[in-house]
Amino acid sequence: MAASPDVSAASTDSAAGAGIRKAVVIGGNRIPFARANGAYTNASNQDMLTAALDGLVARFGLQDERIGEVAAGAVLKHSRDFNLTREAVLGSALSPETPVYDLQQACATGLETVMGLANKIKLGQIESGIAGGVDSASDAPIAVSEGLRAVLLELNRAKTLQQKLTAVAKLRPKDLAPNAPGTAEPRTGLSMGEHQALTTAAWNIPREAQDELALASHKNLAAAYDRGFFDDLVTPYHGLTRDANLRADTSLEKLGKLGPVFGKSLGEKATMTAGNSTPLTDGASTVLIGSEDYARAHDLPMLADIVDSEAAAVDFVHGKEGLLMAPAYAVPRLLARNNLTFDDFDYFEIHEAFAGTVLCHLAAWESEEFCRNKLGLDKPLGAIDRSKVNVNGSSLAAGHPFAATGGRIVATLAKLLHEKAAAEGNRGRGLISVCAAGGQGVVAILEAR
Amino acid sequence: MSTREAIALPELPSLSKLYVSALSTAARTKLGALERSHALPHVQHTVTGVQVSLEHVTTFQHLLHGTVRDSLPSVFVHSAAFPVVMSVLTRPDFPLPLLGMVHLGNRVRHLRSIDYSEPLAVTAWAENLAGHHAGTCVDVRVDVQAAGENVWEGTSTYLAKGLYVPGLDKASRPERQDFVPPQPTAKWRLGPEAGREYAAVSGDFNPIHLSALSAKILGLKRSIAHGMYLAARVINSVEAVAAEPFAWDIEFAAPVFLPATVALRIEDHEADGRWDSADFTGWGERSHRKHFSGSVRAL
Repeated sequence: MAASPDVSAASTDSAAGAGIRKAVVIGGNRIPFARANGAYTNASNQDMLTAALDGLVARFGLQDERIGEVAAGAVLKHSRDFNLTREAVLGSALSPETPVYDLQQACATGLETVMGLANKIKLGQIESGIAGGVDSASDAPIAVSEGLRAVLLELNRAKTLQQKLTAVAKLRPKDLAPNAPGTAEPRTGLSMGEHQALTTAAWNIPREAQDELALASHKNLAAAYDRGFFDDLVTPYHGLTRDANLRADTSLEKLGKLGPVFGKSLGEKATMTAGNSTPLTDGASTVLIGSEDYARAHDLPMLADIVDSEAAAVDFVHGKEGLLMAPAYAVPRLLARNNLTFDDFDYFEIHEAFAGTVLCHLAAWESEEFCRNKLGLDKPLGAIDRSKVNVNGSSLAAGHPFAATGGRIVATLAKLLHEKAAAEGNRGRGLISVCAAGGQGVVAILEAR
Repeated sequence: MSTREAIALPELPSLSKLYVSALSTAARTKLGALERSHALPHVQHTVTGVQVSLEHVTTFQHLLHGTVRDSLPSVFVHSAAFPVVMSVLTRPDFPLPLLGMVHLGNRVRHLRSIDYSEPLAVTAWAENLAGHHAGTCVDVRVDVQAAGENVWEGTSTYLAKGLYVPGLDKASRPERQDFVPPQPTAKWRLGPEAGREYAAVSGDFNPIHLSALSAKILGLKRSIAHGMYLAARVINSVEAVAAEPFAWDIEFAAPVFLPATVALRIEDHEADGRWDSADFTGWGERSHRKHFSGSVRAL
């Protein structure tokens, strides 16, 4: 592939170059994802993350094991959860001497925890790591209004009765209404769905194509559950054994009946419904990774190598690029650095924030104009064989507890690659693409073992 | 305009006193005790040593959803200079009545970053009395100096509706252009308190902004947002990317009745790979009526 300066700007040294060890995916565990205000209504982020960790510990015999480092995070966090992951580890069967850090990169949190720990393993700083993420839209933090907060803080600073009364006198009735977290971008006031609706319309993605992608997600996820694919990836929790959002019996007809929920001001171009957009979801996921030596010493499987990753961000604030389009820029940079093209991949895991997000990315990589003008390439990246995309379903069917999605995808893809390698004797590759709020995206390559 | 008489005011006049004096001028004119002038006074009013308070700037920045910086938002400078402007508009020899005057737009050159601690000299005068199809309009000019140099230059255009000054040609009504909303890039949800909140930081307590009731008394169906609040928010959205010095302009169209959802499109333009300018338009998300449009340009 002829790389432009845009794409080859980063280091040309392969991440797996001399002197750097391999980091491998050993396995994963998550709890089934629940729709918001469903099965996990009364479970906190810490509860769910602990449940996912407990399942991972049980599956790989990690009781009392001191893991090199655990990294996880949540997008919607209570202020008391400043050490969310550390608290979850202390509540798990892992050794309390396991060091931990929290990370937050919106919907890319989960994938970034895997990549951060993988880099530490590659550099020889740690032998093992557990990456993860959790989010609850049901047990969401609700803050007091800015007005009440200002009064409470001033009250706290006040020393005399007079100062205290002055502070309280500033309170207005509207200050008593709480602030619930929203999905609106702070700089635009538009929700993520409204942003994607504009991008979907700009790329002329038809409603039918979005519904077809949603249908495929449900069918693929249901089939994967039916053949037992998730038996060693998911631990039941709180009455759920499968993702609660999964509709195995949905159809194009049913999806076609839903009215648009985002971009309604676009009129006929409003194509995004509750069926082809991910719902608010609760859930947690974890991934166990390690050096090859660690896996061998503990007699643990090696599913896939964590090859490399790339982050990108786009200027969406005044609409120069779509909010969720950053992976479209990260992927060509990652491919160029690793000297790969789409033909070198067996599977593509493109996070389905919305069906439109996936389809806009596919369209962008096929577009000569986009690849030339935006990516600086002399020819399009090309088409991706749709039979290789999200073959075991993705977020439209499973749901999307923001920070938990990366771990779900990494564990799913690693197992898929390993299964295919075992059956066919080759070492296939998979590409992961996750978009995130704030115009960001993280993408990664896994290679089968 | 070398003929303008320079009048130095000892300090920033109080806006409320100026409103009261405007009311009394209006009453006396109505009663025939005061004859309305037909020409602009050849004067400029200056206040030196204007010091803004850090707390005031911070409140203003919070209201715009802006970043709390030590430099002044461009529209804040307009607000800080406004009492001097008012002292010109409320002069008994000013030819247009202040009350009921409509704000048509602004043009500003923001020549350098202005730190909140810098003492400012504000000079205001009026020029370009001109016929308008709906009345008579006038430009109010403001120069703001710091350390002896101009740092901010503004022109606000106001219209006295239904008032025709003898000797000025009445301009013909421009052809009405249909407004088709473009794709939005942002959205503001403005509550009924938006007018009161901006009044508190700007000192512009015109009753049409304060509540539905006070606006109704003046013949409006509901209260309306301050034009300068809309300008402040939109300029703030661009100021972060605009390198100083920069210039901006805004033209107001249909008023924003509160509460409201204002849809917004900001479009950046580059030249030689750097930010060069941005155009913006705001309209009612549901009404599809244009509220304002304008631009920000690198100087």
